[in-house]
Parts: sequence; C-alpha cells; structure tokens
Amino acid sequence: METTTMTKRNESPERVNERPAVAPACDVFENADELLLVADVPGVAKEAVSIQLDKGTLTVEAKRGALATGTLLAGDSRVRDFVRVFTVPAGIDGSRIEAELRAGVLRVRLPKSEKLKPRRIEVRAGS
Amino acid sequence: MLTRLGDLDQSFALMDELRRRMDHVWDDFDRGSVRRVERAGAEAGTGPRISLHDAGQALLVTVDVPGMTEKDVQASINDGTLTISGAREAEAPGGYSVHRRERSGYRFARSVALPARVDAEKTTATVNDGVLTVTLAKIPEAQPRRIAVHSQS
Repeated sequence: METTTMTKRNESPERVNERPAVAPACDVFENADELLLVADVPGVAKEAVSIQLDKGTLTVEAKRGALATGTLLAGDSRVRDFVRVFTVPAGIDGSRIEAELRAGVLRVRLPKSEKLKPRRIEVRAGS
Repeated sequence: MLTRLGDLDQSFALMDELRRRMDHVWDDFDRGSVRRVERAGAEAGTGPRISLHDAGQALLVTVDVPGMTEKDVQASINDGTLTISGAREAEAPGGYSVHRRERSGYRFARSVALPARVDAEKTTATVNDGVLTVTLAKIPEAQPRRIAVHSQS
C-alpha cells in the first residue's frame, strides 16, 4: 500500500513556482504569406518567452519578471504570467516561425508552407 | 376641469418617461466606452495595472503600458500628487485581413496621492518592456531612520 502511494507521488512531480497566468490580449492577422499574431505582454523579457507548435496547437507562454521591490502600498503586486493557446490551421511551416518582442508587445509570424500559398494560374489562349 | 388636469398630468408623465429614457441612453453609451478601456487595460479590469511600492529611500510606481515607448507617456508631480498619462494608437499592419482584434488603441490617465514627500528633482521615469516605472526619491526627512537603542546602565 505504501509503495503505491510513493509511485503515485513520483508520477506527479511537485509543482515548483506555480504562478497565476492570464490570457494576454491578442490580435490575429492573415495575408497571403503568413499569419501574424500580436499579443500584449508587458514586463516580459525576450528570454522569458516560449512559443511551441505541437500537432496544430500553438502555445505562447511569457513569464513576467518581478515587479518593483519594497512594501506594497497600493495596487496589485501579484506577478501574473501570460499563457495563450491557439489552434493553428494546417499548412503552417513550423520550422520558419519567427517571433519579435518590442515594448512589451510580442509579434509571432507563422509563415504558410509553399503549397498553401495562393498561386496565379496563367490562362493561355487556345490556338 | 378634472379630466383636463388629468391630461396635463399624463403629458408630464410622458415627458418624465422620455427624460428617463434619454438618461439611460447616455448610461449605456458610457458603459460601452468604459468596457472598451477595461479590455485594453489587460487583466486588471479597470484601466492599466498600476501599483505603488515603498522601497525605503524611494517610492516606486509601476504601470503596464504595452506598446508604448517613452514618447507616448507623460508624468508630472504637482503638490504631492503624481499624474501619469499615456496613449497608444490602434495599429493594423497593411495588407492583412483581420481574424481577431482584442488590442485596441487607448489612452489612460491616473493620479496617485503620494504618501510621503518626494524630491521632484530626483524623480526618474523609465519605460522598459512595456512597463512604466516612476522612481520618486523621498526627501531626507521622509526617509526611514534607524534609531540606536541604548541601555541605561
């Protein structure tokens, strides 16, 4: 009996540094070449952003740095991370995803694979 | 005569009703605009997230201002009150179709009554990674001071 409990405990490792997470406000745009995702992630450093595409699911995670030090007098001092999960349509080239972080705004570019891009078909006159 | 008075009452009642409805029109309008700001103000619910910390030698005010740079925010101190304001434009890249729009342009202004006297000359404000931090140095009299404890004997 004791051993089973032990195994169970090992299976679910202790959660370290669990912090509340919120969904950041996002814009999603699309043009012929790519999908563009824009998210507000204030207080996040470049190194603290992780973007993963797995089986058509895009997970954007951004860990916030610590807020100001000292005694909180007013407002809210809880550090909230940003997490948002998107379902990505088929035909996104996962190897060419690019992300850029500027002034607390994250831009993720998801390029479409070549075969999905619109193609102009030339019409030839039949002789 | 009595019936006529009743008519008069009715028309006044109608006007009251009209005014009441007009008031509600503006209520709804106000509520709509507030909701827009709330959503732009990220997770906090009412405007941008703001906090005030006491770090001993200085007071720190931090505000989330994603998408704003030092050119977009203003800060001023007047008689023990710090006022910060900022604005950002709704940006849309050209040539893209829109799937989802949650980040709007917005402007905010907040005033904070400072709990200690500060030196306006030594106050600095920086915007880093979309967070505005105002560092307000306290005047020497307002800074914490260690008091030595002596024994009588």
